[in-house]
Amino acid sequence: MNIPNSSTAPAPGEYAGDEVSAIVLDPGYSTTRAGFAGEDVPKSVCPSFYGQIDADSSSQYLFGENAIHTPRANLQIKNPWGADGIVEDWETATKIWEYAITSRLTGTKPSDPTKNGLNDGTNANGDAMDVDMDAVENQEKPLEDSPLLVTEPGWNSAKAREKYIEIAMEEWGTPAFYLQKTGVLAAFASGKASGIIIDVGASHTSVTPVLDGMVLRKGVQKSPLAGNFVSNQIRLIFKQSQPEVPLTPHYMVKSKTQVDAGAPAQAIYRNFDVPPTDSFRRYEEERVLTEFKESVVEIWPGPGRLSNTGNEDIAKSMPGRPFEMPDGWNQVFGAERFRPAESLFDANAAIQDSENPRPKDEQTIPRLVQAAVQHVDADQRPLLLQNIVVTGGSTLLYKFNDRLNYEINSIYPSTRNKLIAPGQVVERKYAAWIGGSILASLGSFHQLWISRKEYEEHGANIVEKRCR
Amino acid sequence: MTSGRDVRDILGLPVGGDPQKTSTQRKPKPAATVRRIQGVAREVAALYGERPPPVAVYEEKKTYRAKRQSTGPAKKWIQQPFMNQARTDGLVLKHWRRKRTNAPPAQDGEDTAMEDGENTEPYIESCGDFAKYNITADLPTFTDEEYDTHLRSDDWSREETDYLFELVQAYSYRWAVIWDRYDYQPSTKSHLAQETTNGDTSQALAALPFALPRQRSVEDLKARFYDISAKLMKLRIPEMQMDADQYSTYETLTKFDPVLERNRKTLAAALMNRNMDEVKEEEFLLAELQRINMAANRLDAEREELRARLDAPVPNPQLSAGLASFTSSQALQALFSQLFQQDRSKKRASGAGPGPGRLSISASDLIATPSSAQAQISANRRQSMAQPPIQTPVKQLSPPQEYRFNVSTHERLTSGVTFGSDKLLKMRQAKSNVQTQKIAAALAELGISEVISIPTSKVGEVFEQLVTKVGKLLDVRKVREKEEGECRVLQAMKERRASEVQQDGTNADDAAHSNTTLTPGAKQVIPDSQESPDRDEDGEDEDAEGDADADADADGEVDVDAEGEEDDEDAEGEEESTRQVSEAMSTRGQSASAGHKRSASVLSQASNKSSKRARK
Repeated sequence: MNIPNSSTAPAPGEYAGDEVSAIVLDPGYSTTRAGFAGEDVPKSVCPSFYGQIDADSSSQYLFGENAIHTPRANLQIKNPWGADGIVEDWETATKIWEYAITSRLTGTKPSDPTKNGLNDGTNANGDAMDVDMDAVENQEKPLEDSPLLVTEPGWNSAKAREKYIEIAMEEWGTPAFYLQKTGVLAAFASGKASGIIIDVGASHTSVTPVLDGMVLRKGVQKSPLAGNFVSNQIRLIFKQSQPEVPLTPHYMVKSKTQVDAGAPAQAIYRNFDVPPTDSFRRYEEERVLTEFKESVVEIWPGPGRLSNTGNEDIAKSMPGRPFEMPDGWNQVFGAERFRPAESLFDANAAIQDSENPRPKDEQTIPRLVQAAVQHVDADQRPLLLQNIVVTGGSTLLYKFNDRLNYEINSIYPSTRNKLIAPGQVVERKYAAWIGGSILASLGSFHQLWISRKEYEEHGANIVEKRCR
Repeated sequence: MTSGRDVRDILGLPVGGDPQKTSTQRKPKPAATVRRIQGVAREVAALYGERPPPVAVYEEKKTYRAKRQSTGPAKKWIQQPFMNQARTDGLVLKHWRRKRTNAPPAQDGEDTAMEDGENTEPYIESCGDFAKYNITADLPTFTDEEYDTHLRSDDWSREETDYLFELVQAYSYRWAVIWDRYDYQPSTKSHLAQETTNGDTSQALAALPFALPRQRSVEDLKARFYDISAKLMKLRIPEMQMDADQYSTYETLTKFDPVLERNRKTLAAALMNRNMDEVKEEEFLLAELQRINMAANRLDAEREELRARLDAPVPNPQLSAGLASFTSSQALQALFSQLFQQDRSKKRASGAGPGPGRLSISASDLIATPSSAQAQISANRRQSMAQPPIQTPVKQLSPPQEYRFNVSTHERLTSGVTFGSDKLLKMRQAKSNVQTQKIAAALAELGISEVISIPTSKVGEVFEQLVTKVGKLLDVRKVREKEEGECRVLQAMKERRASEVQQDGTNADDAAHSNTTLTPGAKQVIPDSQESPDRDEDGEDEDAEGDADADADADGEVDVDAEGEEDDEDAEGEEESTRQVSEAMSTRGQSASAGHKRSASVLSQASNKSSKRARK
């Protein structure tokens, strides 16, 4: 007797699910997500940053959260992603992704008995050894029996797409492969086949119109005003404030003592024989800034912009939020906590200096949405505006949705605009992965995989034909 | 004091039997209390006392979940390789399935069973559960020949058309996506080939648009595709043979207008791109409109109420609308045909034979009828109103004008609506059945059909006068008959007396002569008195004339009377006015009053009656 309740899985026919233990890989600028299709959260989330220690001839690579946050001499923190939101360093990217998959999902394969040296001498037949060697070559590939679904940004180049399938097929040996755009998958994660997906990530903000599960390429918009940009704004605010706000990462502090708000920190700092590189320090500072973004930064929720008359005063009258740096320095942030993220919506509000010029007006989120909608057929616009899916880690900024809602409604006052923003943090951050997990576990998806045979037949450009 | 035995004694019940009865009555009671309530512990049941608990106690059935059936060792699951039927490349994926139990369950132990499983050949399941989702869009197809003969376009090359069809197939008619992905790059090779084949420059120039990558709109793509689809459809199925569905599809395909569509989209975009002020203005205007409408409705309702209070007649919108609609000649024509239909149907219903009434409306009436119909309607309308509206100034009409326009004024009107024909019918009916029949016979004699085709008020008036006259005529006849009867009786008495006298002293010749003169009169009297109402009036008239002749040598007064009546009859036969009748009546009345008192009273009664009828 099968009583349906929340704990029992629905019958496969009900949701057309038919899992083939596919792996979904969702690489991003900040983190790389990987997990088995059909699960609701990615099992493996590891930073896309990697550590590199250059030795004399060969360089050592460090992957994973635990490895790269340890201060070591000459440790450089790098990221394989380019400034245009497309992978630049394919070699390391492959290694990171492989790490993300093998560290938690498939596990490292036990080395073959014929190779590990334990059975040396017992096997006298050399020919048999040779035959086995080929098999060993094949077996060593990490994704031997898992189809792989990889996500890509909407503006990915054709060359990069071919690179994806090459890596998956040649290096990882996956039996089947598929490439899908993050926008589509994020929409799927919210149960929508059509909509406008606003994805505010770490390096890029993108707006992707999706119709019936297909990206309208002409409408895809991106801008660099995203999480990293906000961090940079915070840095500038810290620098420009009087007195300057010290930004000390955790690894520098050995111990701290409590001080009054605004008073200089009294902490004992660590000493390193060979201090870690600047890139390491910057990366660690970034962690502090992330914490700051999570706990202090707020977006002016509207109506109007922060710069509008009167709004600054209202912002000032709101209660401040305290923040304590790793070294004990602390302060209550009042109206200035609205400033770093304001430039996501209002380019004029950006804090500028010689190195950081004012962002363009077209790069703000409302203008991106407008541009995206403009490139869609007039008949589809109201439909898309009814399904505005908000995703990406930076959309978790406090009051982000309120402001976005206000901005969109002021651009399109005559249509019914609806924001779809999952309340769960995990769902917001990993929407693309979750969508991929849903897609790859569907029975009806079996026919869409690009099989190894097809790849061998048509070459890498099959991805252009099949993954539209 | 009084024991039960005494009571029984008084009531006369048997003494001996009751102890048994009481015992039988008492016995079940303790049994009922003792009966244990199921599902309640004995101690608890004891607490209830004698009375059962007010709340019904239901025994709870012991519902333990059925013990799980042990079906041997745990079922094995395997990663079953399978192939999807929708795929052609034979990709083998694995999903978890229960291990097939084709091998008999292991008896020796698990190890052997596992070996058995390994030994069996790898079975690849064929999974067709999801093949049904592998659907492709239907596309019209064409051959090269068809393209060359029918589908050529100045604007589209063959290559681009093929490319368009390819995209439509790939994106299953999602035009927004097709347009989004539409990126036709004309191959330089084909362009070159075209140039080489077409030698002269004008041809090359004409072919040039193909070479230039053009930005095509959704409408352009749709127009081309629909055009081709429609042409192909027509080629496959001729227009005549299309069924309704196919034809409607064909129609929509042919009717596609890219310009119209483009304009519509521009408008839609403009509607969407309105700024906040415009949207607010629209909202404000809509709210205002609603407010105005509501105010107007309220005002109307108030006016209505006021009108009802003042008891003003409610103008009949239907009628006024009807009148307004008769302004055009076409509407009048329609009205005429409607009346014509009604007339015909009425004729058919009555089934009347050829009578003097109008049988049909001839074509010559066509010109005259509308105006008369309008006049009739105006008359009806006037009648339907309780009183003429005060606001409109009453135009005084001269009598001839009133007559011409059929305007009539009424001092008092009965409530409700009556048919003119009903009125006429009512006039025909007298109090007694015999009288009614007599009137009908008189009218039939005059050649008036039973149903008068157009019972206007004028016709009604004339008919009323006629019926009054007929009534009077009948009265006069009755009186005359009575008089004649009396005369005859008196004559007979006189003759008898005379014969007695003659028997006494006169000669037989005289008597014989008188007999010969009398007998025809006596013979005629008998059928006269017994005259059936069905009998011809002509015969009656003859009789009457005969009577008059026969009575000619009676007293002079009667003679005069008879003469007057003769005149009367002639006049009526000729359908003359009532003047003569009244004259005759007056002379008759005078003569009668001069002659016999009784007959005068009868006459006055008759005149009273007729006047009453007239009043009615």
